[in-house]
Amino acid sequence: MDPLKVLLVDDEKEFVTTLAERLELRGFQVLIATDGEEALRFFDTDLPQVVVLDLMMPGLSGMEVLKRMKAIDFKIPVILLTGHGATKDGIRGMQLGAFDYLMKPIDINELISKLDDAVKSVP
Amino acid sequence: MGKTDNKEVAFFGKITAGITHEINNVLATIKESSGLLEDILAITEDDTFPHKDRFKKTLNRISGQIKRGNDITNNLNRFAHSPDYSPASVDLNEVSEQMVLLASRFARLKNVILEAGHYDESVIIKTHPVALQMALFESIEIILDLITSRGKIILFPRKTDNKYVVGVHFEDTTPDDIVIMQSISSSDRWESLQKTMVYLGGTVETDDSALEILLYLPNFIDK
Repeated sequence: MDPLKVLLVDDEKEFVTTLAERLELRGFQVLIATDGEEALRFFDTDLPQVVVLDLMMPGLSGMEVLKRMKAIDFKIPVILLTGHGATKDGIRGMQLGAFDYLMKPIDINELISKLDDAVKSVP
Repeated sequence: MGKTDNKEVAFFGKITAGITHEINNVLATIKESSGLLEDILAITEDDTFPHKDRFKKTLNRISGQIKRGNDITNNLNRFAHSPDYSPASVDLNEVSEQMVLLASRFARLKNVILEAGHYDESVIIKTHPVALQMALFESIEIILDLITSRGKIILFPRKTDNKYVVGVHFEDTTPDDIVIMQSISSSDRWESLQKTMVYLGGTVETDDSALEILLYLPNFIDK
C-alpha cells in the first residue's frame, strides 16, 4: 500500500520539520510548507491526501488557506492546529469544512489517529 | 477601576496572550524534538547504546517539564484573555482553580499549600473577571502575610441561600488561628480588598469560627 501523503503547513520551521521526521518514521510521506502561499502551491502540484494546517501564520492566514483549498477540492480533509484558548477558531474552521482540530503542543498518537480518520472520511 | 485602567489592563492582557502563544510554539517544538529522540531510541538496539536507560529517564524528565510549562502557559493565556470581555459570565469553580495555579508560586515561597475546593455544581455569575481575580488574589495575600509556614489556604466557591460566595479558608499549624482572623481586617490590604469588592458590587466579611474571608458576589453586574 502506498504511504499516506500528508502536507504539513506551519510557519514554525523547526516544529514542522521535526514533526515531519516523526511522521516519516511511522511510514507517512510528508510535504512541508512554511507559509500559506507555499502550501497552496504544493496543494496544487503534489496532491496531498490530508493537510495539517496551522491557523496562526503570518501573511496568508490558516483560515484563508483552508477556504482556498476547499474551493479547489472540497473533499480534501484538513486538520487544523490551534494555540491556547483558540477552541473558537477550531470550531469556526470546522464550520468552514475542516475535518477536525488539535491544540499545540500536539500528541503524535492523537494526530496519527486523526489522520487515519480523516482519510477514511473521504467518500 | 476607571476607563484608563481598563485600557491598560487590556493592553497588558493582549501582549501577555501574544507572548504565551510564542512560548507555546517553543514548547511544541521542544516536545516534537524530544519525541523524535524517543522515536530514534526506540529503534536503536540496546547493545549499541550503553546509556539507553539514562537517556530514557532524561527524556521523561523533559516530557514532564514540557507538560508543566504547557499547564502554566495555558493558565497564563486564559488569565491574559480575562479583560477581553467585561463583564462576562464566569464559573467560580473555574476561576478559583485558575487562581490556585496562578498564585501557587506565591504560596510555595511561604511553604503554604494552596488548593481549590470544587463545588458540586457550576457557580456561574456575570462579573468583571479581572477584578474578581484581584479580589481572590488580595484575599490570598492577606492570609499569606499572617499565616505561618506549612499552613494551608483553600478557596471554596459556593452558592448558599441564593448568595454567591467564595470562601478563602485557612488552616494553620499554630493555635493562633483566632489571632490571625482578628488581624485580617486590620491588614493594610483589607481596605484595598473592600474597594475591589465594592467595584464588583459585592461585600467582604470575615468568619472567625470558620477561619474564612468571605467574598459575597452578586449574580449579575451590568456596568
